[in-house]
Amino acid sequence: MGQFGKILKFELRGYLTNKVFVGVTIFLVVVLALVLFFPRAMDIIGGGDGDEPGTVEPGDRDVMLVSGGDEDVLAALAEAFPEYEVKPAGGDAQAAVTSGEAQCAIVMDGLGKFTYFVDNLSMYDTNAERAGEALTGVYRLSALRDAGLTEAEAAAIMSSQVSFEVRSLGVDQGENFFYTYIMIFALYMVILLYGQMVATNVATEKSSRAMELLVTSARPTSMMFGKVVASCIAGFAQIVCIFGSAIIFYNMNRAWWGDNPIIGLIFDMPPALLAYMLIFFVLGFFIYAFMFGAIGSTASKLEDINTSVMPVTLLFIAGFMVVVFGMTSGSVDNPLMIACSYIPFTSPMAMFTRIAMSHPAFYEIAISIVILVASCLGIGIVAAKIYRVGVLLYGGKPKLRDIIKAAKQA
Amino acid sequence: MILELRDIHKSFGEKQVLTGVSFKAESGKAFGLLGRNGAGKTTTIRILMGVFPANSGEVLIDGAPIDYKKVGLGYLPEERGLYPKKKIIDQLIYFAELKGMRASDAVKSVDRWLERLDMDQYRDKRLDTLSKGNQQKIQLITALAHDPEIVILDEPFSGLDPVNAMLLKDVVKEEIQRGKIVLFSSHQMSYIEEFCDSIAIINKGVVAITGELHDIKREYPRDTLIVRSPDSRAITANVKGAGIDENGDVIIRLSSPEEKMGVLRELSEKYDIDEAKVFEPSLNDIFVQYAGD
Repeated sequence: MGQFGKILKFELRGYLTNKVFVGVTIFLVVVLALVLFFPRAMDIIGGGDGDEPGTVEPGDRDVMLVSGGDEDVLAALAEAFPEYEVKPAGGDAQAAVTSGEAQCAIVMDGLGKFTYFVDNLSMYDTNAERAGEALTGVYRLSALRDAGLTEAEAAAIMSSQVSFEVRSLGVDQGENFFYTYIMIFALYMVILLYGQMVATNVATEKSSRAMELLVTSARPTSMMFGKVVASCIAGFAQIVCIFGSAIIFYNMNRAWWGDNPIIGLIFDMPPALLAYMLIFFVLGFFIYAFMFGAIGSTASKLEDINTSVMPVTLLFIAGFMVVVFGMTSGSVDNPLMIACSYIPFTSPMAMFTRIAMSHPAFYEIAISIVILVASCLGIGIVAAKIYRVGVLLYGGKPKLRDIIKAAKQA
Repeated sequence: MILELRDIHKSFGEKQVLTGVSFKAESGKAFGLLGRNGAGKTTTIRILMGVFPANSGEVLIDGAPIDYKKVGLGYLPEERGLYPKKKIIDQLIYFAELKGMRASDAVKSVDRWLERLDMDQYRDKRLDTLSKGNQQKIQLITALAHDPEIVILDEPFSGLDPVNAMLLKDVVKEEIQRGKIVLFSSHQMSYIEEFCDSIAIINKGVVAITGELHDIKREYPRDTLIVRSPDSRAITANVKGAGIDENGDVIIRLSSPEEKMGVLRELSEKYDIDEAKVFEPSLNDIFVQYAGD
């Protein structure tokens, strides 16, 4: 095993035995378990047997009371709300909802107007709109009948509809938005977190003067690459643990989450996208970790790290903002995003987003990856040179000009 | 084996740090590299260790450019420091492996050194749980565990209590006896005088003097006598060039070294003399002369 391998092993062991690293990973996995097992747990607490939910029996369903409606109204609402037990209100529907006897109530004020009562209005509650749609049909049918049409004629008019279908020739941005956002955010967090850790790690070695011995024991390139690859493996292992456990927990509880479209979309990520994620994650991580490592080597004190890494952090945040604005505006192929998908500091996020939410040509992806790989190597070599000079600089904060000059001589 | 630095020049930016530094050190001998703070000792050591290159000049082993893959170097830096939060055994093995040892050999060697320095009970402890002196002993192991041919010790005795200083002295003597080149850098002249056969004094990046310590001392004119006598007042009153130093000894400055025997004869005939000898400068005197402003 060469020096690189020995440094990699030592650094990686440092991460994997770090109590904070292990603690945070376990904490996040436990949180995910709690969230993803929550519906199942609620089912058991609510008297269920914890087995997969099947057809809902009438007695198990929530109650929707209907006041002031005729049989047509009741029938239309029962059809529109199969998950509810729709029944006429015997007394005060509003009081029944307040007391918890019924989950919601529809109080008809004539055939053309109704009031929807519910205790706490969830932000996802679309019952009023669904009831409005169902009752509009009843209202129009009644009006047609009143106008002299027979039941069959009125029903035929009501049932006639212009049919349409949507065929996306690229990707469905709405569908991909959630997992793209999660992946970009994970990339953002891991790069910032582990990049800072690399910088702090180097500055700690320097301030504890372990560096005095290290620089006389190992080549700077081995030290720099060993540290960066170790932090990349540690970061990636953490992501695999967190996302892997999330996927396992979701599949264990898929039946309980079946009707939640957002959760379903998050976990239905195409494997090809995961492969691209891996490539851009690794390359993006390397670029920033090298820069953070080089900066860490120029800091004499740990307190200097936060201000020293600020320019790189801001560059990364700016890239993240451009990508997020591109995603939320829906135009992931705007000129800025296209430019960013070739700039190595932003391309890991920008090109990945375009792959996930658009359909860039393969040659575009290939060019972006080639630029990224070449930049990784270039920045790695320059960072190692800065590192070699930086670790021996003590005292005041060195000027960038002096570091560049010294690195050229190294 | 002969280690030779030949005409080393080094500058950082506009600042010239070393100018024509040259000296030789031999196997089985200790060499003292002396100089005031900022004189260029650490830069010289770093160039010798290949941390950065010289602008010009050579580092030679037996006349050929040094091959760092073949020649082992051990270094105890003046600025001590390892990983305070890591286990001692882990970091010692790590450094031994970085110096090219196989993992199994590194474990054996580190254990042997821990035992030799009476530190084996701290093997699995974290470094920051140890006293400063014990941390220094651990750091010494990083310089010696991989059995290097050249051992560079920068202020090795600072921070050690007398018992540990004695232990370190024994270790250094053993290394010298085993044929190592031991290169000392220190401001504690007594240790240098005790160990080093040869020295180099660097002043403002230039070697002010280098050679065998014995020869350097011999080069001083032997024209001063030191006399210990109960009649010191009478001697200073009657003998030309006599005075009393801060220790109460009589110092007699002769016009020429040839007068020595005549003056000694006169003193022994006329006064009660406890001790009389020709003055030889201490290393401290030599250092002040060559490294002073």
